[in-house]
Amino acid sequence: MNNNATMVRTSLTVLCAILFALPLWWVAVSALRPENDIFRYLSPLSWGTLLPLNFTLEHVVELWSGPFRLAIMNSIIVTTVTILVGLAICSAAAFALAIIDFPGRNIVFIVMVVSFLIPFDAIAVPLYQTMRNLNLQNTYTGLVLPGIGNGLAVFLLRQFFLGIPKELREAAMIDGMGWFGVFWRIYLPLSVPALISAALILFVFQWQAYLWPLLIAPAPDYKVAAVAIAQFSTQYDVNYALIFAAALFISLIPMVILTGFQRGFSASVASTGGKE
Amino acid sequence: MQQRNKLLVAAAFLAPAIIAVIFLRIWPATSALHESLLAPGETTYSLENYAYIFSDPVFLRSLQVTLVFLVVVAPLQIVIALALALLVNAAIPFVGLWRAIILLPVAIPQSVSAVVWGVAFRPDGPVNAVLIAMGLEPMRFLTSAEQAMGSIIVIVSWIGVGYWMTFILAGLQDIPKSLYEAVRIDGANRFQQFWYVTLPQLRRPLTFVLVANTVANFLVFAPVQILTSGGPQGSTNLIMNEIYTRAFVSGDRSSAMAATVVLVTAVLAVVLVQFRMMRSPEDKGI
Repeated sequence: MNNNATMVRTSLTVLCAILFALPLWWVAVSALRPENDIFRYLSPLSWGTLLPLNFTLEHVVELWSGPFRLAIMNSIIVTTVTILVGLAICSAAAFALAIIDFPGRNIVFIVMVVSFLIPFDAIAVPLYQTMRNLNLQNTYTGLVLPGIGNGLAVFLLRQFFLGIPKELREAAMIDGMGWFGVFWRIYLPLSVPALISAALILFVFQWQAYLWPLLIAPAPDYKVAAVAIAQFSTQYDVNYALIFAAALFISLIPMVILTGFQRGFSASVASTGGKE
Repeated sequence: MQQRNKLLVAAAFLAPAIIAVIFLRIWPATSALHESLLAPGETTYSLENYAYIFSDPVFLRSLQVTLVFLVVVAPLQIVIALALALLVNAAIPFVGLWRAIILLPVAIPQSVSAVVWGVAFRPDGPVNAVLIAMGLEPMRFLTSAEQAMGSIIVIVSWIGVGYWMTFILAGLQDIPKSLYEAVRIDGANRFQQFWYVTLPQLRRPLTFVLVANTVANFLVFAPVQILTSGGPQGSTNLIMNEIYTRAFVSGDRSSAMAATVVLVTAVLAVVLVQFRMMRSPEDKGI
């Protein structure tokens, strides 16, 4: 490629990136300026539109004294537990489906992955009644449960396990290691990249969840951030500055995590995309 | 003995996941089917709830809105994702950074994106400010029956296209360079290279994206519920919002269950195609 073509391509790419980043930039700027300034610099557009001329951390601090703190803590707790329990369940299932040659394995694999591929929200409404009857409304258990089984995570881990040479396991089993030892001491330590990808999938699902927490955890004590921000935004006297500060905070956590693992995430996402 | 032992071990490893599948997918789907076949106050199965929703103009309108939405949003997002993937599939400075920025919105909870765009689309908000600065008329966006769906499409596309770009980019990187060299020797220009090499080679990732994108967009809920509640005049009443409204606003559980069964059936059909595509050719035997 000659220099001119590279220049054009680079400029176009930067322009697209700016377009995608602009709403996020605007969220950050609005969170870091006095509330009165949020709609102040819009007509005409000026430098003040995109720069916090009267920079303040007031709303970010306010966020931590208000009800948002609890909501964000709830999101963090629910997501962390989901990742830990989800990884245990999905990796154990993937191990059996990849390694143990038992009768009916293929049908179990197909039913499990296909069922989990149906987005959870589609059956959230019928499940809600069951969960309520089990007294799981307004509990962390009720919030965590939908996230623990994930078809993509099972699929991804199984693919990875299939790639680990079976000689390793055969040698270990001749030395007297049991199935659990093979799983715990050989497969899991060798699968850290796949486990990270699976953790990211579980994380994104739970951090994004909206419909289910809206139904199952309406009590203020169990409200998660994604629901809290939506409800604050429809109040009669909306505090926009607080909304933006919350939006900034709720977005920042996944953005930092995804950017940190971007290569791994992209690779794992793509590997479920029917590569040849 | 060996076989039985293996079955027991496998059962132990699989038990939590199998219980989760039954409790979180199969049971709710079955109970939705069961309830959808019981008309209110009845104890025998009938198709009354289905007859009811399929003659209810609100439900029919919601189906129509959902189908039109899917037909518009899937090709739109795929074309944009393909264009972006082609753009960033090159050795330009900081290419990883630009890719990451385009991917970022997918990491943000949809409800947060909805709230933020809701403010941006306000009559006195920044989007109109830009339109006015460009000498255009301000628009009504979410409060107009003509523009509300378009606004929702902008929001979900801003969220999603970076994610779909990731799949297409991986597909692009798998295309052997030698194919391009071969057609270049035959004198193919850039467009011909794209048309005769890139597109045919991308058939599989593009089909996968089409299928997965359709599944994802079937379930769009947060932006609709938060920003328009399905309005104005039902113009954004996607099926997930319709089910939610039936079950929790109108309290009509029976018809909500019938609508759920319709949704799950449609999604299951698409998911089966997706699953077939996820498995590599050497896996096809099973």
